[in-house]
Amino acid sequence: MDSLHAIGFYVSSGVSLAGGLGVALLPGRDLRGLALGVLGVGLGGIYLTLSAGLAALVAAVCYLGCAALVASPQYRPVEGVVGSLWRQVGAIAAAILLAVLAYSAFRGDFVHASFYGGVFGVANLGRVFFAHDALATEAVALLVLAAFAGATAMWRVRERGR
Amino acid sequence: MTVGLVVVLFVAAGLIATGVFTAVWRRDLTAALAGIPLMFAGAGVAFAGVARFATVGGPQLFGQEFAVVLAIGATALVALGLGIAGREGSR
Repeated sequence: MDSLHAIGFYVSSGVSLAGGLGVALLPGRDLRGLALGVLGVGLGGIYLTLSAGLAALVAAVCYLGCAALVASPQYRPVEGVVGSLWRQVGAIAAAILLAVLAYSAFRGDFVHASFYGGVFGVANLGRVFFAHDALATEAVALLVLAAFAGATAMWRVRERGR
Repeated sequence: MTVGLVVVLFVAAGLIATGVFTAVWRRDLTAALAGIPLMFAGAGVAFAGVARFATVGGPQLFGQEFAVVLAIGATALVALGLGIAGREGSR
């Protein structure tokens, strides 16, 4: 990667992380939507510098759509039922997750494919899931994820109504 | 100045952790839903980075394909969550 692409990557990373922090911390749906749009633009830049032009285009369009949805005044706010103690525990868990992921990235020997499966044969499973049956795996994963998200949202709305 | 896989994974870790923080910290459900695209963005960056740097001689399109699906899935999940949360005055 040459210097121009590297500068573009660092600038795009800063823009996307600033957008992410804006989504987390800014008040008001308008500002959150704007921050999500900034995140989408930065994410498109990251993909573009990583030689993933189609992913950059799709991500920018999708995240700008997300920003429009989040900023829309048509949706009413739904207050959660989670107490402040659990929110603080969750925030600490997010910090721990960041530390674990950063340590994993720093010790990223696994990406050089020096591990070939072990006794469970995960390398062969990975080849099947992510190469031969990639689309089916993605479809099932998205279906399960959408089902969990929908069930959680419905549960929270029902708990709020009580 | 150069970029390696470790730097890309650091950025991905930052996005994922920011998304988790948003999802657990916000009281409003519609605001907490905005954390989902952040987590998906981090995962997509990790996939694209691995496809760019770690698949030397191998197919790079798998990581990019996952990044595309993750972006579409994030949009679908936000739309689904907001739709379930309900429009103003619908009930």
